[in-house]
Amino acid sequence: MTFEEAQKELEEIVRRLETGEAPLDEALKLWQRGEELYRLCKEQLDSAEGKIEELAGRAEAAKP
Amino acid sequence: MKVEAIDYGDRRVFSVGAFNRGIASWLSRLPTVWVEGEVTELRRQARWASVFFTLKDPADGACLGVSMPRGQFDGLRLDLADGDRVHVYGRPELFEPKGEFRLRALSLERFGLGEHLAALERLKQKLAAEGLFAPERKRPLPLLPKRIGLVTGNDAAAKRDVITALTTRFPPARVLVAETYVQGPRAPGAIVETLGALCREPDVEVIVVARGGGSFEDLLPFSDERLVRAIANCPVPVVSAVGHEQDTPLCDLAADARASTPSVAARLVVPDLAELVQRLDRARSSLERGTRRALDRERQRLDRTHERLGRAPRLLLERRRGRLDQAAARLTALSPRATLERGYAIVRRAGGIVRSGNAVTSGEAVDVELAEGGFGARVEETR
Repeated sequence: MTFEEAQKELEEIVRRLETGEAPLDEALKLWQRGEELYRLCKEQLDSAEGKIEELAGRAEAAKP
Repeated sequence: MKVEAIDYGDRRVFSVGAFNRGIASWLSRLPTVWVEGEVTELRRQARWASVFFTLKDPADGACLGVSMPRGQFDGLRLDLADGDRVHVYGRPELFEPKGEFRLRALSLERFGLGEHLAALERLKQKLAAEGLFAPERKRPLPLLPKRIGLVTGNDAAAKRDVITALTTRFPPARVLVAETYVQGPRAPGAIVETLGALCREPDVEVIVVARGGGSFEDLLPFSDERLVRAIANCPVPVVSAVGHEQDTPLCDLAADARASTPSVAARLVVPDLAELVQRLDRARSSLERGTRRALDRERQRLDRTHERLGRAPRLLLERRRGRLDQAAARLTALSPRATLERGYAIVRRAGGIVRSGNAVTSGEAVDVELAEGGFGARVEETR
């Protein structure tokens, strides 16, 4: 699942919870899922380490 | 000019200087002409009186040395670079001390600006007609690309600016930099190759093609048909960050997004980390609030139900009592007491209520019930 998908689903869950229409057992399930999605997003952000790499070898080869 | 020769018997021999002078003099009588070619090996130094370059025929590689007075060359402000096509107006000349033949330039024009523009316009029309620039072709850029490909020249400015803009906005950005030619005749092919190489790298989800500002000619490679097509057909979305705001190389039109500055490119390509974290945290607290609200609502409902449950037995009892009272009232209405009150009496014998004179015999004991009390009696006679 991409960050984008996770974030989108998380915000959809929040929206549904905020309308207050979901029955309790569903609300709890949504909450659980929401927490899971939050963790997923957060982990992706935390685990990403800034990195500048060079495609040196291949770029060189690409030069005519 | 008179060229002196030395006579060795019947052989006329020229000194090198004399020979060169002779040739030079002969050449100088040739007419002044325009010569077209590509500039290569441009050599210009402040202490030299002339600027030198080699004019090359792009068709067959034929070369011709050219010299031009430095002041005149500088006055033109052509900012020539290798590979530029020029028209040189000049005449053949022999540099006598070295016996070198060359073209002495009197004037120099960059060739084909108008021609280039017209060709560019034609190409633009053609590609537009093919739908290469159509808005529906534009793909959305990923919100959080795993890796960002950056195509740039090896001169630091554009590269550094884009990387700085990216990492400022989103410190965890992973950038894969591919340096290549971004100027001159080799640039289009090299950039196409580089795009392909970046697309083959794992996790590259967006590619930025960056090049700083430059002259119209400098940016020409970015309007090259091969490159424009490669960008339109690139399997990974491409952001064109070429030149400045006023420049519109064709690659801008084919790319999925266009950035006029490195910081615009960064805004397009990566999210603002601080904003993202904030948004995520907001979503999470809303999540908790929403769940708590659902819980509260359920709890309240449960409380209400419980309360109703507590009230239920008393309600039941009251309802029963009501029904009992009702039944009692009806019972009263139906009882013979009221009749007795009006002066009637009930006569009973052992067998039950006496409804007929034939049911009793003389001398039989009966019981008489009145509205109030009663008495025992004996039957005198029957009728």
